[in-house]
Amino acid sequence: MRISRSGLAGLTLAVIAVLVLPMAAGGQWLKIFTSTTAFALAAMGAGFMYARLGMVSLAQVGLMGLGGWITLRLNHAYGFPFEVNLLIGAVITSVLGMVLALPALRMRGLYLALITLMVAGGLEVIFTAHQFPNGGAGFWGVGTSFSATMRRPALGQSDESFLRYALVIAVLGFLLIDAHLRSRPGRAWALIRRSEAAALASGVNVTLYKTWAFGLSGLLAGLGGGILAASLGLLDAATFRASESVLLFALVVVGGARFWLGAVITAVLYRVAPGLLNNWGVDADLALVFFGAALLHAVITAPEGIAGQIFGLFKMEAANDRA
Amino acid sequence: MIALENLTVRFGGIVALDAVTAQVSAPVSGIIGPNGAGKTTTMNVISGFLTSSGSVTVDGVDPMQMPPHLRTRWGLRRSFQREQIADDLTVAENLWAIADNLAGSRATKRADIETALEFVGITAIAGKPGARLNTFERRLCDLARCVTGNPRLIMLDEPAGGLTVEETARLGDLITAIPDLGRAQVLVIDHDVDLISRICRETLVLDFGRRIAFGPTSVVLADPAVKAAYLGIEADHA
Repeated sequence: MRISRSGLAGLTLAVIAVLVLPMAAGGQWLKIFTSTTAFALAAMGAGFMYARLGMVSLAQVGLMGLGGWITLRLNHAYGFPFEVNLLIGAVITSVLGMVLALPALRMRGLYLALITLMVAGGLEVIFTAHQFPNGGAGFWGVGTSFSATMRRPALGQSDESFLRYALVIAVLGFLLIDAHLRSRPGRAWALIRRSEAAALASGVNVTLYKTWAFGLSGLLAGLGGGILAASLGLLDAATFRASESVLLFALVVVGGARFWLGAVITAVLYRVAPGLLNNWGVDADLALVFFGAALLHAVITAPEGIAGQIFGLFKMEAANDRA
Repeated sequence: MIALENLTVRFGGIVALDAVTAQVSAPVSGIIGPNGAGKTTTMNVISGFLTSSGSVTVDGVDPMQMPPHLRTRWGLRRSFQREQIADDLTVAENLWAIADNLAGSRATKRADIETALEFVGITAIAGKPGARLNTFERRLCDLARCVTGNPRLIMLDEPAGGLTVEETARLGDLITAIPDLGRAQVLVIDHDVDLISRICRETLVLDFGRRIAFGPTSVVLADPAVKAAYLGIEADHA
């Protein structure tokens, strides 16, 4: 098994982050970094779909909300350990992602993006109308005057250890994508992106592999949502608005959809930049102005995103790197 | 032997292929004709991209009964007018992308890929990413993809597009050698009549979706109806 230079850099960075980040960060920043990790997982899912299959998914944050909703719901309904809730949430989100793939099999480009945006809009309506479960009665599980606790994993009871836990899950998610890209699905996706006719003529089951890609991307979004739920204990519908999905996708383009580093940069821009502005006493909405400028920069001069520019700087063979 | 029986394709009111019948038995055969004659349409029908009436059988087997992606496993390969090399895969991975969908063990597939690379003569660039290949290397890689595994029918749609005279000659030699490699029969579309007359023993000529000539290449090319179709002169097709 070959480890590329950029992959080695990524694993090194991950080890440093797991060891140092929870100690260096304090208070509010622990939660910001945990949610950054959750969004990095979702960004990786949207990024690989865009870079490897040319499919634009504008429902990624909405799907995170779904994963979070299910994880919370299971937590309050049954006594399962956190891992079980997280996995069930991620798997159901993945299945919904595959259902989303059904129209995608016939549509591409702008029309596919519109379908995913409609899904994001639909999820936003549901989340806003029903809010997230907090231990109340009934299917929606929302009580008005109280909030039950969201159990965390045994290994991640404190905020510090939960950040470590989230980072490890994110690394596993990134490795899962990398394993796909290095093997049969990655090759099938590369052909589908080149041309569906060519893929079909090469014997690729286009329907299966497109559906699989949506499922994998949904799985990562679901994992991200579950982690976010456990980090905060309670989710808010405003986090998962359709506009957030669009913003995340725009930042995926800015960060660099082809690379693991791109997903990290995306999440840092999405979560850390507004937090920093807040710390400096500047309105966090100013970040949107920077994001707009960054998107123009990416579209005009850096099609591989910031990560592509960084790897290009260090000559890490951007053209052939897999993740 | 490839047998086309009354092959007909309609796009709305337009008849793209009009009851084409031919029994192609030469190891390498050509399909020629002016633009819009139905050459690529014929290949698209065999690939399963279009629905048609009539039948196609290869050595008595009807590949039309299989879903398009399973025809590769059975032994169908094709190239397109634009080469279809995935830029983010290496040359070897581009071949793996086909081998993935074939029957057989990993070791067999690896051996098949090595044979294909060697046959085409691109073993030295097996690790080169698709994005960095030049036009000729891309065409060679496309050909290597087509001979990977144990193909029965290889369809090449303008395989020499964009190549120089020397490169075309080299590619022609390779195509002529394909039948010695295994059991595959080769169909070639090209506008380069020199290439066709050099490598194809039999040739089918189409014009406006109809067969206007079929037989040994030299005879077909001398046919007045074929000359008329190429030069645009009115002639008695019957």
